[in-house]
Amino acid sequence: MAQQEQVARLAADAAQLLLESGGEIYRVQQTIEHIGRAYGAPDIHAYVVTNAIFVSLEKNEGGSVNEMRYVRTRSVHLSRVMAVNALSRRIAGGAVSLEQAQKELEDVRSLPASAVWLQVFACGVGTACFAYLFGGTAWDAFAAFWVGLVLQPFVLFLGKNGAGQFISNTLCAVLVAMASVLMMQMMRLVGVTCSLDKIIIGGIIPLVPGIALTNAIRDVANSDYVSGTIRAAEALLIAVSIALGVGFVLKLCALIPGVVL
Amino acid sequence: MIFAFLIQCAVSFVSVVAFAVLFHAPRQEWAWCGLTGMAGWAAYWLLVQMEQGVVTASLVAAVVLALLSRILAVVRRCPMTVFIMGGIFPLVPGAGIYYTVYYFIMGEEGQCLAKGVETLKIAAAIAIGIVLVLALPGALFQPLGCRSRKTR
Repeated sequence: MAQQEQVARLAADAAQLLLESGGEIYRVQQTIEHIGRAYGAPDIHAYVVTNAIFVSLEKNEGGSVNEMRYVRTRSVHLSRVMAVNALSRRIAGGAVSLEQAQKELEDVRSLPASAVWLQVFACGVGTACFAYLFGGTAWDAFAAFWVGLVLQPFVLFLGKNGAGQFISNTLCAVLVAMASVLMMQMMRLVGVTCSLDKIIIGGIIPLVPGIALTNAIRDVANSDYVSGTIRAAEALLIAVSIALGVGFVLKLCALIPGVVL
Repeated sequence: MIFAFLIQCAVSFVSVVAFAVLFHAPRQEWAWCGLTGMAGWAAYWLLVQMEQGVVTASLVAAVVLALLSRILAVVRRCPMTVFIMGGIFPLVPGAGIYYTVYYFIMGEEGQCLAKGVETLKIAAAIAIGIVLVLALPGALFQPLGCRSRKTR
């Protein structure tokens, strides 16, 4: 029956979108089961890990439909998480036909990201605020603002070119540290003393593994230990890659005469 | 003291909203994201001022953050993820990572170890704080949802 194949596909598509956008494992699994149940397929089975989705739906006339998704790239998109969640609730409420659900899922997929200029500005403001929160002065925050403005375009550029997470985080950390050293030297030229540590700390906050850590915690709390472990390893790896990038630049600067850290 | 506290609140609010923008949160939730993050940071800052140590402060802040996220998730009918992801950034030990590397590079092994252990402790404290709140049964939060639906 063609309808059951469509149900399995819809469930897998919704799950993939949710997982890519930063939903936690439990939510993804629930979404699949809700969709299956709503469209008359209570025997739907789902297994979800950090980067893969398996859906199996038992047909009424015997046999089964299987859908598998491999989730390679992940970029957090909270609007999508929210929209898929809302859609799955309405589907569970029985108010949405199968065709309409497919169409609405496409709409969710094309939800706009924040405008690029806004992202760049937000990154600058975020790094400036954090430089201040972690004990910097207003001048440190001012310097960190420019570091953030440089960082976000680079993050977007690396994301577009599909650089691996470890490498891209290291490169970003190198950029942050270099831009920070540069800003500090420039501020010194105009007679303002900044503390390098506060500027760098502000700058690395957008890179810090906050999302990986949150998801690791939530997955483990829901007994999804495999996914939780993957996320925890990811968090640790990101932290190490940031350390590597910053450390490299600090060591380099210590070697250059005339640069005072 | 009060003036400093208000500034800390304002700056943390703005910083978390900035992160909500970076993670493409829906526009109507930006202010709520900022509020959640601000509450977490305010708890952290107050405890640090009272000299309770950064690990305890992180634990309490994580509890405040997660609790508020769960409440808002019901009230705003929106996944908790939306609120907690931006709000966690002020708590994640970015400074800890930096100082660990700094002392590592500068050859001060003792300080490096101390900072590294502290960083791990903070991460563990955040994890425990969030898990504690996640362990609360959903039924506790349900009445909030009903009330908001009636007023609408």
